[in-house]
Amino acid sequence: MLDNILSILIFFPALAAVLGFAIQRDSIRSYGVAVATIEFALSLLLWFMFDANASGMQFMETLPLVPVFGINYILGVDGISVFIIILSTFFTLIGIASLGEIKKVKYMIITLLFLQMTMTGVFAALDAIVFYVFWELSLVPMLYIIGAWGGPLRIYASIKFFLYTFTGSLVMLVGMLFMAYFYYQASGIWTFAILDWYRLVLPENLQLWLFAAFFVGFAIKVPMFPFHTWLPYAHGQAPTIGSVMLAAILLKMGTYAFVRFSLPLFPDASVFYMMPIAVLAIIMIIYTGMVAYAQKDIKQVVAYSSVSHMGVIILGTFALNVEGISGSIFLMLGHGVVAGALFFLVGVIYDRRHTKMMSEFGGLATVMPRYATVFGIMMMASVGLPLTINFVGEFLSFLGFYKQSHILTLLAGTGIIVGAIYMLAAYKKAFFGEVTNEANKNLPDLNKKELFALIPLVIISIWLGVYPKPVLEPINNSVEAIVQLMHDKAITPEAKSRIPNLINDKNSQEGAH
Amino acid sequence: MELYLYIALFAPLVSSLFSALFTATPKKMFTGVVASGLIISALVSSIVLLVHILNGGGVVHVELMTWMETGDLYIPFGFVVDEVSVTMMMVVTLVSSVVHVYSVGYMDHDKGFNRFFSYLSAFVFSMMVLVMSDNFAGLFIGWEGVGLCSWLLIGFWYHKESATWAANEAFIMNRIADLGMLIGLFLIYWHTGTLQYTEAFAAMPSLNTEIVTWIGIFLFIGAMGKSAQFPLHTWLADAMEGPTPVSALIHAATMVTAGVYLVVRSSPLFDLIPHVGLFIASLGAFVALFAASMALVNRDMKRIIAYSTLSQLGYMFVAAGLGAYWVALFHLMAHAFFKALLFLGAGNVMHAMHDELDPFKMGGLKKPMKWTFIMMTLASVALAGIYPFAGFFSKDLILEVAFVEHHFILYTVLLFTAGLTAFYSFRLVALIFHGEERYKLFGVHPHEAYKFMLIGMSPLLLLAIIAGSFKMTYFEMVTALLPATEYHIHSHLTFWIMTIGTQLFVGLSILYAYKKYANSSITVPNGTSKMENSFVYKMLFNQYYIPYLYQEYFVKPYRELSTVFWEQVDMKIVDASVDGIAGIVYGTGEKTRAMQSGNLSTMLKWMVAGTVGLLSLAVVFGLAARYSGEIKTILSGLGV
Amino acid sequence: MEIGLNHYLALSAILFSIGLVGVMRRKNLLLLFLATEILLNSVNIAFAAISHYYGDLTGQMFAFFVIAIAASEVAVGLGLLIVWHKRHGNIDLDTMSTMRG
Repeated sequence: MLDNILSILIFFPALAAVLGFAIQRDSIRSYGVAVATIEFALSLLLWFMFDANASGMQFMETLPLVPVFGINYILGVDGISVFIIILSTFFTLIGIASLGEIKKVKYMIITLLFLQMTMTGVFAALDAIVFYVFWELSLVPMLYIIGAWGGPLRIYASIKFFLYTFTGSLVMLVGMLFMAYFYYQASGIWTFAILDWYRLVLPENLQLWLFAAFFVGFAIKVPMFPFHTWLPYAHGQAPTIGSVMLAAILLKMGTYAFVRFSLPLFPDASVFYMMPIAVLAIIMIIYTGMVAYAQKDIKQVVAYSSVSHMGVIILGTFALNVEGISGSIFLMLGHGVVAGALFFLVGVIYDRRHTKMMSEFGGLATVMPRYATVFGIMMMASVGLPLTINFVGEFLSFLGFYKQSHILTLLAGTGIIVGAIYMLAAYKKAFFGEVTNEANKNLPDLNKKELFALIPLVIISIWLGVYPKPVLEPINNSVEAIVQLMHDKAITPEAKSRIPNLINDKNSQEGAH
Repeated sequence: MELYLYIALFAPLVSSLFSALFTATPKKMFTGVVASGLIISALVSSIVLLVHILNGGGVVHVELMTWMETGDLYIPFGFVVDEVSVTMMMVVTLVSSVVHVYSVGYMDHDKGFNRFFSYLSAFVFSMMVLVMSDNFAGLFIGWEGVGLCSWLLIGFWYHKESATWAANEAFIMNRIADLGMLIGLFLIYWHTGTLQYTEAFAAMPSLNTEIVTWIGIFLFIGAMGKSAQFPLHTWLADAMEGPTPVSALIHAATMVTAGVYLVVRSSPLFDLIPHVGLFIASLGAFVALFAASMALVNRDMKRIIAYSTLSQLGYMFVAAGLGAYWVALFHLMAHAFFKALLFLGAGNVMHAMHDELDPFKMGGLKKPMKWTFIMMTLASVALAGIYPFAGFFSKDLILEVAFVEHHFILYTVLLFTAGLTAFYSFRLVALIFHGEERYKLFGVHPHEAYKFMLIGMSPLLLLAIIAGSFKMTYFEMVTALLPATEYHIHSHLTFWIMTIGTQLFVGLSILYAYKKYANSSITVPNGTSKMENSFVYKMLFNQYYIPYLYQEYFVKPYRELSTVFWEQVDMKIVDASVDGIAGIVYGTGEKTRAMQSGNLSTMLKWMVAGTVGLLSLAVVFGLAARYSGEIKTILSGLGV
Repeated sequence: MEIGLNHYLALSAILFSIGLVGVMRRKNLLLLFLATEILLNSVNIAFAAISHYYGDLTGQMFAFFVIAIAASEVAVGLGLLIVWHKRHGNIDLDTMSTMRG
């Protein structure tokens, strides 16, 4: 059984979702929680059995699908993907467990379980076509969540979300087909296995084109400036659980794909495009940070802050050294936890007041002290205070990119200032001051269900901020392998010099001692 | 010794977490008592460590666990107790013990009593991390941690708009500086490969001077924010919105001196770059004068003391910048004692006067508040630098340093500032405690603070008086780590002229302040007197219009630009172009749907037309492919 | 004059054109079917002729395929036509526009 744990992780929730149609409405919540708990336990088992010292893929599974064209069902995880899978199962669990009073709760739970399947699939797939299938499938439950449970503009938002990301994915698919074709030309074998593709060294001009094709798909998903405008609508209209899943996991698909595909497949192109992408990332950090400051709706503040943080992740990824990439992957987890928690928190107040306008609030710290405390902790984590989860990622990302460019890092670093400005301003508007609005005078504080979702997130964000090692170490090992692969594959002298050679470094250091 | 190190470090954390358990409940006296007890245990541990170091027991160094490790980066949670950090530990734990005890009385009637102790102890913990860390990353943890606690404590009365505004201002301004510091850390890491103090400093002499200069500049930018140096100084005065014990602990004695500590700790670095050091010293002297001038006319008791703090921080930076690190640290220590005392005294006055801050509305308080009067007067004497109080030994030493190093401009500025310091300190004392009892006009009945608060303050009083006598012991201890330069003026005559001259100058300033403000003719200013309408007074009173400038030229444009970015750029350009593309596709469909009339006959006609079109295209391409050679010749013949 | 491939192809083309014009112009569903038959049969002629010309039976096989498909198509089509006529009383193409976009 344990040989196929990844398949079980993928298809167990899907199967459970199908069976869920037959469950009575009264017992669907406990059913959903039970399924999600089992799924989460399985993912923890995955972590438990995961060999932290190995850098390669583990729990590999292979099953031929269309052998003629080299399309196989290949799964596997390494230090980069294993934690995102755990994060996704974790969020599904607390998402279902803390689901508020919404209509058609049965279909919501079934949708979430389907979503769980697609998320695990994306992060576990090692075949481009399988990856693509899960990647696109993940749009469907999200489309459904926004479109069926969203706000007044939900149809517009969900269609925009779907078509925008779908368009990008199609370009990515074309890139994948070309990649397979080039592989076929080079070796005479059709394959879509990513690990096979890793071994192919492409000429630089081909790399540039393919990188661009993949980039469109990934960048829209992240979302990178200027492709980000679907996100505020999606967040603005999505129900709380939708925003949580979107921010915590779905956005990470884009950044994960950069690490999984773009960097190791196209090292020279990565170096070539590094500076333009860094500039985009800096625009994301500063510009969307400022836009977040101008918002009047607290959910939009969090939504734009997500974009801003994703900029830091991109920057870290394109640092192309171990520090930066490890940091960016850690920040993916950190941002998942923190942004997810912040969307939960916004949902809490929305459930009570049915508005997200900050002008409607004010003085909530007096009325809801526990809520204000949890929000404060999460806000500080979002701002990137040391000993919270985000600091580790941000620090490493910036540190990594500093090696590549001083001045751009300095500019990107202003993100910590901009971030503090919009977060503190929003917190002040919502929580400080006197309670002026009558409707706020008797709001109930966090209830048990909400605490169940939020307390673990608070614990994680502090635990991994203080002691990131259990997570950072496996990430580091896998990243080192990728960076070394990139260095070995690189053909242009610039790429060779930009991407560090770990083996030689270690040897020369040992020689020096 | 490790045990004491852990107690000193973690007792405040335990205290904070313990108090945090009761934040949601009404006031519990025992949180205050337990918190104070734990902080005092940290103090005791620090004393043990100090004795250990004084007896030549050597540096205590522990590595708790790994924090971050990736690539070549390795950052542990490492803590070190050496001559410099033990000094800071003593200052921090001593002042915070006093402040904790004092707060039990001061926050007596406050709803957030338990919460206050939680924050206050959290601050002490962060500060301990800051001073005890053995690497720059750990320092940064504490650095940001004290920033967070400062934010929490300034905004402690969060229902007040001004308090939360000041809290955010302080946090954001500190963040600006923190970015500088972060960049400094990156530079250190990429050029020395480590963030551990010892290894990084060992590697620095072999680095390019330019790089070391940049490291120094960026680290000092970090120090500027935390120590509120110009131009990042405005937050400190606004931070006085917090409860007064907070001002005493954070914004006088400990947190604001973190910048000085950073420079002192990085002495091996700054020794390599004397030009940066000179800049630091010049900026320090400027801030000393600049802040003192603003204190001259201010009418807010706490702000006057805050400006005085700023001014004294300037002194410390002069010493540190000129390479007299031990002098800077000594002044830091002495200043912590008398300035915290001054603030706590001001807290007593505020309590007595029902949170009135304008000293012009007080007067004659020496009768009802005898002990507070004595304490504040002695603290002011110490601040002014009168022999034999603590300030004389530490501040005069800085003047001597400037003199011996032949920076006569700095010396003159500092000397002049010393006169101003004496003047504004005693202006405050005179206005509060002497003269007519103007408070009667406002129907206030002042009373002395609780006895245990006064007793709690007494260690500070004692140290403010006698700290100077520890100078040589201290010198011998701390120079094990810092450059042991003694600053002696070679000619005895010059030395005596300078010392006596300075004392006379300061004494005259005090007398002048008394003469001007301790008489019965002082009334509450109403904005009509000639002085109040003079240009200089207005400029000083409005803090050189700097807060106004910041508001007009940074805050407002930032807000407007943000709105423009959102409403114009994001909505009208970026999003609109996406929607535009979607609109084109959608519009094309809308326009061409008329073709789908549903009439089979029409559709068949379209089908035929389409087939014909495609066929003719196929024929054209086929022909073109077949006769491509000929076409090329024809085209080339035409000169295309 | 011997009748050669070109004659057959010409006949096929002429028949195809007639059928095409019929498809485009007829408004009566029944006659539309007839026009379609003409189209199909013109292609059948071409198939058979070319098959004979090359001596390859594949073409004639295809012609049979087409005939079979045409027959089944007409069977279905006529069935629909009768249903339509029963419901609406006419088989005029212009009245059938429920597929309007």
